[in-house]
Amino acid sequence: MASWFDYTVNGIIIGNIYALLAVGLALIFGVARLINFAHGSVYVVGAYAGFVAVTQFGTPLPLTLLIVVVVGALLGLGIERFGLRPLQGYAHIAPLLATIGISFVLDQLVQLFFKPDPRALPSDLLNIRFQIGSGTIGALDLVIGGIGLTSAALLYFFLRFTKLGWAVRATAQDRDAAQQMGVDVNAVNRTVFAIASALGAVSGLLVGMYYNYIDPSMSFQATLKGVVAQVVGGVGNVPGAIAGSILLGVVESYGIALFGTSYRNLFAFVLLIVVLVLRPNGLFASRRQTPPEPMTGTFIAPSKPVRIPPRTLLGIAVAMALLPLVLPNPYVLQTLTNAWLYGLLGLSLTLIAGTVGLISLGHAALLAIGGYASSLLALDLGVPVGLAILSAGLITAFLGTALVFPSFRLRGHYLSIATLAIGEIVSLVILNWESLTRGPIGVTGIPPLSIFGIDLDTDRSIYWFALAVLVILAALQFRLLSSHLGRVLRAMRDDDVAARSYGIGLDRYKALAFAVGSFAAGISGAITAHLYSYINHETFNSQLSILALTIVILGGMGNVAGAILGSVLLVGLPEVFRVAAEYRVLIYGLVLLLLVRFRPQGLLGTV
Amino acid sequence: MSVTRRQFLLGSSALVALAAAGPAFAEPAKGEPIYLGVSGPLTGPNAQYGAQWKQGFDLALDEINGAGGVKGRPLAYIFEDTQSDPRQSVAVAQKFVADKRIVCELGDFASPASMAASPIYQRAKLVQFGFTNSHPDFTKGGDYMWSNSVSQADEQPLSAKFAVSRLGLKRIAVLHLNTDWGRTSKDIFVKAAKELGAEIVATEGYLPDEKDFRSTLVRVRDAKPDGLMLLSYYSDAALIARQAKQAGLSLPTVAASSVYSPKLVELGGDAVEGMFTASRYFPEDPRPQVRNFVTKFKAKYEKEPDAFNAYAYDTMILMGQVMNEFGFEREQIHQGLAKVKDVPSVIFGKATFNPTTRRVSGAMSVDLQVKNGKFTFYEGGAAVR
Repeated sequence: MASWFDYTVNGIIIGNIYALLAVGLALIFGVARLINFAHGSVYVVGAYAGFVAVTQFGTPLPLTLLIVVVVGALLGLGIERFGLRPLQGYAHIAPLLATIGISFVLDQLVQLFFKPDPRALPSDLLNIRFQIGSGTIGALDLVIGGIGLTSAALLYFFLRFTKLGWAVRATAQDRDAAQQMGVDVNAVNRTVFAIASALGAVSGLLVGMYYNYIDPSMSFQATLKGVVAQVVGGVGNVPGAIAGSILLGVVESYGIALFGTSYRNLFAFVLLIVVLVLRPNGLFASRRQTPPEPMTGTFIAPSKPVRIPPRTLLGIAVAMALLPLVLPNPYVLQTLTNAWLYGLLGLSLTLIAGTVGLISLGHAALLAIGGYASSLLALDLGVPVGLAILSAGLITAFLGTALVFPSFRLRGHYLSIATLAIGEIVSLVILNWESLTRGPIGVTGIPPLSIFGIDLDTDRSIYWFALAVLVILAALQFRLLSSHLGRVLRAMRDDDVAARSYGIGLDRYKALAFAVGSFAAGISGAITAHLYSYINHETFNSQLSILALTIVILGGMGNVAGAILGSVLLVGLPEVFRVAAEYRVLIYGLVLLLLVRFRPQGLLGTV
Repeated sequence: MSVTRRQFLLGSSALVALAAAGPAFAEPAKGEPIYLGVSGPLTGPNAQYGAQWKQGFDLALDEINGAGGVKGRPLAYIFEDTQSDPRQSVAVAQKFVADKRIVCELGDFASPASMAASPIYQRAKLVQFGFTNSHPDFTKGGDYMWSNSVSQADEQPLSAKFAVSRLGLKRIAVLHLNTDWGRTSKDIFVKAAKELGAEIVATEGYLPDEKDFRSTLVRVRDAKPDGLMLLSYYSDAALIARQAKQAGLSLPTVAASSVYSPKLVELGGDAVEGMFTASRYFPEDPRPQVRNFVTKFKAKYEKEPDAFNAYAYDTMILMGQVMNEFGFEREQIHQGLAKVKDVPSVIFGKATFNPTTRRVSGAMSVDLQVKNGKFTFYEGGAAVR
């Protein structure tokens, strides 16, 4: 019994930390309708600003806090002014991608300046500890809780009783109406970004002090947990975000109590899915909350796709097929082989996200399912590799669709977050289901590629195989898009209410599209596994899901040729920038930002 | 092999004599350099390890090239950043394979990235030398996969002996990184500790990016252990120790040798005071290779070296010797690794490969304890009663 008290206290303490992150994310979402993927990076910058202040100038905590607030607010203003304002009026997808680009750039800058080693971030608070249950809580725990509550209270008063606060709320409710009533929407956006980023930076400082540990790569986890917490509480809802964070902390803690440490995140993400499916507005949404996003037609930029005559496409395909004969450089061939395999992933996501409008943030899970299915079929059941790859595609189509099916009633960002959670759940199940997947040891000795008994053991043959699979599936997808089915899918994306009133069964069509898309991703994962000979739960990680989305947006949503072009660029560019060594990820982030800025509808345009 | 202090001193004085007899003053190397390819993380979440490798490599190269290089030519390396991501490590593998200047490859860091590239190196017959790859199946990828990483089958029985036989722990709670390394280590440790008569009362696997261990520690406490075993890296070990202290759990704690880094003390502060670990070497170690390595490292970087610095340094020294003895063609290196004998090594004392497993066994082991913020030689006995 005493232990349950300890678990609860521990859950609240960690929830306290999530709350600092979630409040900032909730504010930004409330006003800008944007999941700010750069929030974790602001958190990192805040932690390092505090680190410099404390270790170089020996500032006391109140002064350190002030410095961090100022740095965070300025950074927020910068992000708003240079990263997001130019994208105003573009569809929602552009700023989302921009925040991903900004987070690359910020993380990389911090890593370059401060070196990647973890650092100690000492706090000068008195080391007083209070006995609670059998554990203790320290002064810093109380400060964190205090700052969380104070900032929530300040925000509440600001939003309720100041003119700017009213403007913020009005903008959150209806941006256009607010503007017509004379609200300076830009000023509101600036304010919100400054406040949210100051909060994010402070949370970085406090969490760093709490653990006496900061490193430049802690941003992704921070964003992830913050997003989960705020969705549990209700997106865009500040008090809800705090309650959701505490709930998340407690549920994680109980998860550890019941099943052990390695199940912790599984609990977090299952909680998220349950909340999303049962109460998509979050547990603490009031009735007056904004209705579940009328995203229809606004999330994806409508544009005129670049027309490429079929003959040109055919020509390019033939040229690519002849390339190994003219340029037998294995490095180039390998990079392009990778691009073809990611092109398959791109085809999959461009159909699901672009054509149907289900923006998936967990697409790497499909690669993982395909990779594991094919490897285990080949290793444990002795299925020939070619057949194993094909079966893996079918298994992925079935499993992927089944997993995502309960989330089909969600729209816009909610669906994205649900898929993010499903992706994490798949990876954690792979890690924990040892009897099938061999857990963290991974699957070794996966047989190399061979079809019809012919081993594909040269760089060329592997290249041709990947290219052939890509061309076949791309051609099928072209065919599908120009058929009646393709029009139905686009109709659902553009206006699902209208589509439904024409008698289209939304869920069935979504499931059909998801199955077709999952098949391509599963095949890609399966081929990758046989190429690598070894995979574990980290081979297909959540960064890959982000890459997949970037590929699709860059190429143009729903655009088959665009997905392949996007894949070639995003796999190729980091290789091209190799000369820049440590700076290459930075350059990559900047290029991404410029592309979003000047071509938000994607290089080849939305279909 | 576990070494007592006495054996240590005896063995090392013999080596001092040997080292003094070696060729001390040679011409510095000149001419076209001989290149090794390094595939590893310089950016991304594992970037710190790539940075540590570089320090170790550079120190060894100063030494090798100052003493005539490889057959009179300077030795150098080309470091390609892969972020320890398999997609990039396979591309880098192809790049190295096609680059005729590259005579041997070192790395990658994490198993998924390293082992994904193995088929490419194996097909091209270029040695892939995974010097931090402790995955038990790494060298099974083919006869061109070699490793001088300390095998967990070697290390963990020693840790178990330290924890159970020397410190007298009877009921051990194991916290391990839930990765291929942590999991392999845990299995071997648990088996060895049970054979020595200890009971394993809890095992908890955690994810590498985990920072909060409070609830895990409650679970551990409820299992009523008399000691903790951490199969962790220094950053997690510091976090666990701090939170154990805050949770009021003060038990003798033994950690795997991977925590051996000045960073452990920097991050853990008071909380890691008294932590036990084994290491391959420690700064006051009297062995000449260690003296030489630690002194030069401190002079060059103004800080204490850690385990990854040492692995990288040892590897570069080993490569230098293999090439000097057997030649620097790709195939000569492949053959040479099987033939080279007793290379002076910080980690192994003397390194010789087993040509069947393509690994080195017999890492040195000294029992250490953190005292007054420093790793010191542990001379005590049982830590429990």
